[in-house]
Amino acid sequence: MTTGTDTRLLAADHRDISDILCAVRKSLLVVSLSLTAAVFASVPHATAGQTSPAPLPAAAPEPAQQPPAQPGPVIVLDPAHGGTDTGARGETEVEKDVVLQIARSVRAGLERRGYRVVLTRNDDSNPSYDDRAAVANAYRDVIFVSLHVASTGADGTVRTYYTQFSAPVLSAPVATAAEARNPNPAPPRLLPWDQAQRPFVDASHRLADLIQGELAQAFSGSPPASAAVPVRALRSVTSPAVAIEISSVSTPTPGLLTASAGPLAEAIALATAALRPASAQGLR
Amino acid sequence: MPRAMKIVIGVLIIAVLIGLVSFRSLHRRMQRLAESQAADEKARHEVLAPPISTPTDVTVNAKIFWAAGADKIAPVQVQLPLSADPVQRSWQLLHELTVNPPTPGQRTLPADTVLLGFYVLPDGTAIADFSEALSSEMPSGILSEEMAVNSIARTLESNVAVLRRLKILIHGQEVDTLAGNLDLTGFFDLNPPVATAAAAAANSPH
Repeated sequence: MTTGTDTRLLAADHRDISDILCAVRKSLLVVSLSLTAAVFASVPHATAGQTSPAPLPAAAPEPAQQPPAQPGPVIVLDPAHGGTDTGARGETEVEKDVVLQIARSVRAGLERRGYRVVLTRNDDSNPSYDDRAAVANAYRDVIFVSLHVASTGADGTVRTYYTQFSAPVLSAPVATAAEARNPNPAPPRLLPWDQAQRPFVDASHRLADLIQGELAQAFSGSPPASAAVPVRALRSVTSPAVAIEISSVSTPTPGLLTASAGPLAEAIALATAALRPASAQGLR
Repeated sequence: MPRAMKIVIGVLIIAVLIGLVSFRSLHRRMQRLAESQAADEKARHEVLAPPISTPTDVTVNAKIFWAAGADKIAPVQVQLPLSADPVQRSWQLLHELTVNPPTPGQRTLPADTVLLGFYVLPDGTAIADFSEALSSEMPSGILSEEMAVNSIARTLESNVAVLRRLKILIHGQEVDTLAGNLDLTGFFDLNPPVATAAAAAANSPH
């Protein structure tokens, strides 16, 4: 049985132990924060969109980092979905894995042609739409290509989309593409994050038509022109941005999907060169 | 051959025969189930979203946009009693679009989709509130999602002249995407003023 004095002593001991534990926790927190800061400081800014190597068994090895001073636009490839978001599901394949394999192959094809390529994800993660857009928006001269595999559509067909917005509801004027890219802008004008693509819709339309024109020749049955569809992944990108969707994840020969990477890289390279002829000359 | 072995083989043969007989009946039952599925869907819709009739109903040739092949939609002329009230008329059209596709292959919306609410604002903005099934049972993909929304928008546009734009909600909420790709945070233009003006100019006497 404990008296009142004993109880107070026990309480005092408790406080001492709690203080010690609290001090230990604080020092551990300081050490872990310092380590985290050191790790982040060692990561170069330009690789923000490239994450750790993929855990997938069929993953291609991560190629060496490209030199940052290459001429021409940076091509940001966005393999759609990832993580718990599988995207379209076939009997044996899921969209998130197929598009990642395709993106890696397309990147290799574009790098062989001299382009600098960044992936928005390079593993089974699922960055938010805004994080994916932020990867592209970190560069000055960018082409953004979101890669998808459909769950419907005739097998072996490919479609290119650019985004569209309904009639503007803003009272303030929205900046034009030229104004958005001007290094010395005059007075800043409103460019809402969720409508950041709006000034670039015309450029995106041109890029989408150029890509689809090439793809229609490589994939018979594909439409000759691109289509305007409000694709969520494109809305916040401040550069020409398109989505390419291949049909379909339910194909009995899934190898055909990954084999499409070659013609895709060719189409993206030719369209980029046509859209930006000056920078394309610099690549040769 | 030992007697025990003979008994085992005999039992196995009997088991296989019983399996074959029950497999055939199981197969027949599965076939019947598949055949009744379409009827069940229709019956479910009759309970959840019964057809609407109003005093102002007039039978007209309505244009309903269903799938025409793997990657496009096309109008189908359907004789429908439609209300003069834009809200009731839209309910009737979307009920027809969801419940009565000419063939299962022409369906653009998941079979269990139910229209929970439909409102029209004074500026011509239509707000269509669908059940969760529209999103959760939609095959993911830009193409399938675009065909679904397009079939809704074009069906309303072709049959309800006062509508100017469409907002789609899922179970009363604004959602980011329909099934992972198509942006539902914005509006879909209906009867765009440019097209309307061009059509009016083409029809007007010179």
